[in-house]
Amino acid sequence: MSESILNIDSITKSFVKNIVNVHGNNEDERYFIIDDLDLLVPKGKITALIGGNGAGKTTLFNIISGFVESDSGTVLYNDKSNSINISKMKPEQIARIGIGRMFQDNHIFQNLSVLENMLIADSNTFGEIPINSFFRTKKNKEVEENKIEKAKEIFENIFGNNNSFWERKNDKAKNLSYGQKRLLGLTRLLMGNYQLLLLDEPSAGVNASIIPQIMEIIKSFVDDKDLTVFLIEHNMKVVLDIADFCCFMSHGKIAALGTPDDVISNDEVRKIYMGA
Amino acid sequence: MDYIFHIIILINIYIILTTSTNLLVGMTNLLSLGQAAFYGLGAYFSVLALMVLHLTIIPALLFSAICTSLMSLLIAYPSLRLKGDYFVLATLGFQLIIYTILYNWISVTKGPFGISGIPSPSLFGLLYISGIYSFLVLSSVLAAMVIYIFYKLIHSPFGRALKGVRDDELSLLSIGRNVTSLKIWAFTLSSGFIAIGGCLYASYVAYIDPTSFNLDEAIFILAAVLIGGTGNIKGPIIGAVFVVVLPELLRLVGLPDSIGANLRQIIYGLTIILLMRFRPQGIAGEYALK
Amino acid sequence: MFLQFIANGIVIGSIYAIVSLGFALIYNTTKIFHLAYAVLYMFCPYMILTFFHGLGLNLFISFTVAIIITVFLSVIMEFLVYRPLAKKESSLNIMLISSIGIMIVVTNIISLFYGSETKILNSEISKTFTIGNIILTYAQISQVSISMILIVVFLLFLKFSRFGIMTRAMRDDDVLCQVLGMDIYKMRYVLFALSGLFSAIIGGLVAYDVGMDPYVGMPILVNAVVALIIGGIGRFEAPIIGGFIIGILQALSVWAFSARWQDAVTFLLLIIFLLFRPTGILAERKRLV
Ligand SMILES: Nc1ncnc2c1ncn2[C@@H]1O[C@H](COP(=O)(O)OP(=O)(O)OP(=O)(O)O)[C@@H](O)[C@H]1O
Ligand SMILES: [Mg+2]
Repeated sequence: MSESILNIDSITKSFVKNIVNVHGNNEDERYFIIDDLDLLVPKGKITALIGGNGAGKTTLFNIISGFVESDSGTVLYNDKSNSINISKMKPEQIARIGIGRMFQDNHIFQNLSVLENMLIADSNTFGEIPINSFFRTKKNKEVEENKIEKAKEIFENIFGNNNSFWERKNDKAKNLSYGQKRLLGLTRLLMGNYQLLLLDEPSAGVNASIIPQIMEIIKSFVDDKDLTVFLIEHNMKVVLDIADFCCFMSHGKIAALGTPDDVISNDEVRKIYMGA
Repeated sequence: MDYIFHIIILINIYIILTTSTNLLVGMTNLLSLGQAAFYGLGAYFSVLALMVLHLTIIPALLFSAICTSLMSLLIAYPSLRLKGDYFVLATLGFQLIIYTILYNWISVTKGPFGISGIPSPSLFGLLYISGIYSFLVLSSVLAAMVIYIFYKLIHSPFGRALKGVRDDELSLLSIGRNVTSLKIWAFTLSSGFIAIGGCLYASYVAYIDPTSFNLDEAIFILAAVLIGGTGNIKGPIIGAVFVVVLPELLRLVGLPDSIGANLRQIIYGLTIILLMRFRPQGIAGEYALK
Repeated sequence: MFLQFIANGIVIGSIYAIVSLGFALIYNTTKIFHLAYAVLYMFCPYMILTFFHGLGLNLFISFTVAIIITVFLSVIMEFLVYRPLAKKESSLNIMLISSIGIMIVVTNIISLFYGSETKILNSEISKTFTIGNIILTYAQISQVSISMILIVVFLLFLKFSRFGIMTRAMRDDDVLCQVLGMDIYKMRYVLFALSGLFSAIIGGLVAYDVGMDPYVGMPILVNAVVALIIGGIGRFEAPIIGGFIIGILQALSVWAFSARWQDAVTFLLLIIFLLFRPTGILAERKRLV
């Protein structure tokens, strides 16, 4: 494997669940979601993470992006020049050093307009300090105009001129369709300054006709923008089409690893995905 | 005529209170039961500025706004780490603490006796703001200024980020924003501006005591915002007009004050209950509380 | 003297404990921050006043009728306000605000009809009872003993009855309860009735001792909520422990400083716990998300 951007080293995560047992007493039950998991994510490639429902894929993403703290183990992020231990960092810090995240359920700003959703995702936070938005109005206006220009360009690059997103830029995001929301969630990642994108099931719940478009976008992240994509995907067709590498997660560990073709021929994977 | 001017001055004061509170409740979805504490702190700090430091009105306003913001900063960081109900509780606790201090620290605040004889403030030492006309002008200017500032804030990238906090904190974290610091900004700005209302109130009435800044007042301010509407500029203004004008209307109808006082509270209460059920964003608001 | 203060603390503590328990019954299961609970505490004494002084009924009957009416009011709150909101899946903040609305309405209705000045139920000077050098009134002794009985009965009930197990299940996961076929809304009526009962009983007893005005509920509720926080949200023993801690600490602060600062003790405890141990003394194991 080539140089890695993410170095996941013996990560363990368990949850404790407090339940009322049959006798009506409280009881703690501890179960491991991720159990001593190691993984290298290669730079500049698309790596897919597959596994059954509840295998812990989203939890792994949550650990990488800082929303959940692991019990033990480290995550190293290899920036352009140096490698940073991000296991104890906060989500916003991790985002700022270049790891972008798209959530499994749509987490876009429902009450902001389509355009505002893009602008707020920009890596430049100049006007967000109230003093700047008040006293340095000229610079602020400039920054805003640049952001708008950037958003327009991104929409045009991806969806062509006269795309519906730009036309509906002042609509509230909550009025978009589910598939459009996912596309927006994906495109807004381009406003940021990221090296690595964690995409949690980008094609889930969207119409089959949009899936090729989503695949195009993901491929363009890697081909045109030199980003690295780490993606969770249940749709094997997408994995086979776009992923360079594939890892299969089961019982809290990586059970199979390789090219998508190799992994798909693994018996356990077949059992889950083909029912065979 | 003076009566109408008096009403307008009160409306102006309440516009300052509700507009500032809206930044917290409507824009950032942080429900605070402690707004009267900052209102009160603003009033007491302005008494300090006017009676002890002998400042003129503009420095006095700045002094009380800045001191109150600094106080709020002390509260903001610990309480903003708390979520949902716990945050509400922290603001409630803070409200009660400030009230207890104002009420019991008699050597400084004169406690329940209140502070009377607050002198008319002067403008640059040139003219004294004393009659009802000058307060009408002063309060209108201040209210207009506060509305303008909040209009600008809400429509700036900062306002957009606050709306982001309100909509989806998780998402905002994932794009690298420091949600806590945004909330702290909202909290301190809101309390700094509410202090201006306190300063105006103290110098207009020329007498303050802690009961003007108790939990009931905090609930009252919150009710005004929620009735008028949250999340935009016009909602809080309408709320301020509503809560100030309603009692006067009841008086005009000829209800004796003893009944009127209870009756208007009952009307506020019912309005809140009905609005929360059928129109949670308030009369003219844009976003419902989440 | 010191022992006398401790005894007073226990008396106050038992009031806080019961009110806190009633509040927790709603909060732990429905997550509603039921501030309107404060008015039930003062509503019952006014009903007693009406039946006892107004209609001249016998004291015991007045008490009983007043308690029944208060329980009814508690259920009405759920029926008219919370239940429709819950069906609309309104947020908890909206419930909290509505609760404030109820509180304002009921308090002012009472104040409109009965006036806002202090009223007394029992104009005789209450007889006292002396143990060693501790002096307590009979009313205080009945407060403590009835509270104790209520607490013990309730905790046993919670532990062993079917209803208790259902309550604890609802505390853990009400969606799951619904899936398992429990009628959540019926449960909620029972919970509101029960919590109304607690508040009515103790409110009536206290008012019989010291009288009441339309605003007595809120300060007690604030202390009760703090008791719940320092005891620990989620467990039903917690508010009781918290209630007695606050009662005794307040009495001690009166002993050490003066009555002026006794409320400050509560708020200080609240802030300390919110900052350093928001899970309370009997921490429910912290569940993630
Ligand atoms: N905060 C939490 N507390 C307790 N259990 C949790 C928590 N988060 C996740 N889990 C459990 O961890 C397991 C893995 O969840 P996760 O969301 O990572 O699965 P997934 O692989 O993403 O599944 P899917 O393909 O359905 O999205 C599930 O059984 C889930 O119930
Ligand atoms: Mg998942």
